[in-house]
Amino acid sequence: MKCVARQLASSVVCGLMLWAGGVAAQGAVCNEADAEALQWLARMAKSRSEVAYHGVVTLQRGDDMQVVQVARSLADGYSSEHLTRLTGQGAQVVRPHHPLNCTHPGEQLLTLGDRVDAGDCGLASYYRFKVSPGERIAGRQSVKLEIQPRDMYRYGFLLELDQDTALMLRASTLGRGDKTLERFQFADLSYGEPLAPRPGMDTVHPAAHPHPDYPATGARLSVPWNVSWLPSGFTATDAADPEGPRRTFTDGLAVFSVFLEQLPRELRPGEGLARLGSSLSYTRGMHLADQPVLVTVIGEVPVNTARMVADSIRVAR
Amino acid sequence: MTEQLRESLSALMDDEATELELHRVLGELESDTALRQTWVRYQLARSAMAGQPVSHPRLDISRSVSAAIAAETGAKTSRSSLRERWVRPLASLAVAASVTAVVVLGGQQLYQAGSLEGQSAPVAASGVSAVGFVNSLGAVPMRASYGAQAVPQLEPAARTAYRELARQRMYQYMQEHAEHAALNSPQGLIPFARVPQIEE
Repeated sequence: MKCVARQLASSVVCGLMLWAGGVAAQGAVCNEADAEALQWLARMAKSRSEVAYHGVVTLQRGDDMQVVQVARSLADGYSSEHLTRLTGQGAQVVRPHHPLNCTHPGEQLLTLGDRVDAGDCGLASYYRFKVSPGERIAGRQSVKLEIQPRDMYRYGFLLELDQDTALMLRASTLGRGDKTLERFQFADLSYGEPLAPRPGMDTVHPAAHPHPDYPATGARLSVPWNVSWLPSGFTATDAADPEGPRRTFTDGLAVFSVFLEQLPRELRPGEGLARLGSSLSYTRGMHLADQPVLVTVIGEVPVNTARMVADSIRVAR
Repeated sequence: MTEQLRESLSALMDDEATELELHRVLGELESDTALRQTWVRYQLARSAMAGQPVSHPRLDISRSVSAAIAAETGAKTSRSSLRERWVRPLASLAVAASVTAVVVLGGQQLYQAGSLEGQSAPVAASGVSAVGFVNSLGAVPMRASYGAQAVPQLEPAARTAYRELARQRMYQYMQEHAEHAALNSPQGLIPFARVPQIEE
């Protein structure tokens, strides 16, 4: 419902956000394989506003497997999505009434494929691509996109898209040595209007719609800060309050967030790391403006990315 | 300090550096103060994580690094025999190890002498944590057991505490991260499936 009130503002803002795509261009020459892959990625991103479906998805991380039901419907210029956990916690996430014309920076980075003809290679500056025919997944014929990072600041991916609709049927996140860190996959998929959301959930969470133009209100720190180094191709996902506790960045495929906490007393400098599948939590005790702070990087990136980013946090002037 | 050097440094930290990068960093460490400080920060963080004990006299960083570079250069000048080709990577590894040792010591020297000196004790000594640490960081049992013993005794506690902190923060922040990942990565709402416990 929030999106209805914001529809006008959103469309204006989303227009302004087009600049984000330009950042990714590095003047590289796009080869043919890259161009084809970029077209597929663009189709995949657009499928978000073109394809209604419902299905069952598995998320596998190491020995752990979760099963969720997902659905998306489209009507009157809006999409409605929901995700329902079928294993573990009885929880549901809903995103009703998201304007189809509101595209966020991550999606815009993917749709750069349209401008490949103009020499703008976008993601191909940071990833190498290979396209080949894929296997059947959830009863659908797929096309396979092998995506290898060109630097050490992001993971590789194996994306398998529906040959007809470009919907992502399976996505594997690949660490060093092509080790699969996480895989999500449709086990069952039907196109068309979805089923009604399941009743009887313990928890129903309406997904937030962070406004790209207006920083979220909430807790503020006493020191304005920024991240002074990002891996190439990463851009902020939303407008950041200089004193807000969070920043989030994406290159279109990978996303990570940086959280800053001011500590009331000294903390011994150091770092800690926890991993779950492709997700990482990196904490770092350090000083900012002579005050002790705890920096946490959460996201689907390698640890050296998190460490470099944490190391680059500065007081904003 | 160039970005490339920083990247090489990070790679070196993660044992991913090529021999070329290693050589470049070695060369620059001697003259580049900023690079040296970055290295010291990385090493401080790393040694805290690895729980390495530290108590050493002052060392002259630049001289030791020069010696290390000289040693490596010497290893590179003669590359005719098969044996040399086998030895050379080993020599590089040895150089990396010696530079690490030297800079860690230097870093600790800064750590002890600088304004950070007082802060090793408080965390180890206090039981209640302002950032919600569990007992492991408070390390009350450590204090009871080891009392007035020096910092190195507390290193493993700090390492465990930081790991626990990272785990806690993953629980705390994963949902907020997912809110943004869901709008900016191609998997739709799937990032929420990564959230350990979805809150309303």
